[in-house]
Amino acid sequence: MKDCIRFAPMIGAREGELPRDEAKALATHLVECEACRAFAADVAATDGMVAQALLARANARDFGSFADEVMARIGRAERPGVFGWLARHRAAATATLVPVLAALALIVYVRIEGGREPIAMLELSSEGEATTVIQTADGPVVLLEEESGS
Amino acid sequence: MEADDLSLVSKAKAGDAEAFRGLVVRYQRKVYALALGIVKDTDLAWDVAQEAFVRVHTHLGAFEGKAAFSTWLYRIATHLSIDAVRRERRSQKDELDDVNEANLAEGGEGILATALGNDPRENALRRELAAKIHEALATLPEKHRTILVLREVEGLSYEELAERLGIHKGTVMSRLFHARKKMQVALRRYAGLKPAEAPLDSGTAERPLRSGRTDSGGESEP
Repeated sequence: MKDCIRFAPMIGAREGELPRDEAKALATHLVECEACRAFAADVAATDGMVAQALLARANARDFGSFADEVMARIGRAERPGVFGWLARHRAAATATLVPVLAALALIVYVRIEGGREPIAMLELSSEGEATTVIQTADGPVVLLEEESGS
Repeated sequence: MEADDLSLVSKAKAGDAEAFRGLVVRYQRKVYALALGIVKDTDLAWDVAQEAFVRVHTHLGAFEGKAAFSTWLYRIATHLSIDAVRRERRSQKDELDDVNEANLAEGGEGILATALGNDPRENALRRELAAKIHEALATLPEKHRTILVLREVEGLSYEELAERLGIHKGTVMSRLFHARKKMQVALRRYAGLKPAEAPLDSGTAERPLRSGRTDSGGESEP
């Protein structure tokens, strides 16, 4: 069995692929070992079947549009400038532009909404007295608190 | 044939689109077959094959003609196919390439050879199995599919396989051994062939295939 571990991977080697002494040792082993001989027979019997099957599938497929599609892809890949870059790197461009556009949209929205209503109420303190400023569309309006006891 | 390639490459380098189209038409089916063997899916293979030609066109200026154009093209197609498969299933555990005693005799060796006979054209079972090869190939792990396809479709030698896949020659041989064993197991199941007796119980669970022949009872026999 130890010999099989050594020789089994050599089965299926083409002429000249194994050093001469290895090829000779393999041939001697095959004479002695029934299991390896059977495996070698299967390898020989199925040799070429994979290539035949895959090429048969390729030949059965309609390649009428293949070359046109390749040339179109090449055309897109070669388009110069920013638009060419965008065409070649559609996924990267999308990944980059989506957050940028989202941020821009948010800024525009806040600006528009901010123009309609008071943005915030700001409370200023001065010498312990509270003064309230309201930002309105017409500008800031300062509300002065009445002095207590007056 | 190769002189024609170089002439077309030379024209394509000079900007002749029709010359490049000629190269595409010449190699499209073989590149597709190569990609299909590795990625399994027909649409993905179509896309990978097209991308291979696009990459070749992009780097055409760097092609010096030291190797055959087809070798360069197949190399790019192989790498794109492997990348495509690995992107789809990064998490799958890789199998070791070592050959151990359990791998050697799983039972049934030799019966394929007997059933298939010597004349490939006259054998009905061979024709039947040819239709199942793609399905059987799809059951193999990516690295086993890849090496078998490169060996058979592109006809690469051990040295060329080692160089293409970035592995040692010894690993090439053991990986091919595993790939062939697995294909044989799959084909025996499709053919409904069962060993009379297994020389060794490997204890290896074989995954049942979806569409094995049932008329012979091959799937359910003890």
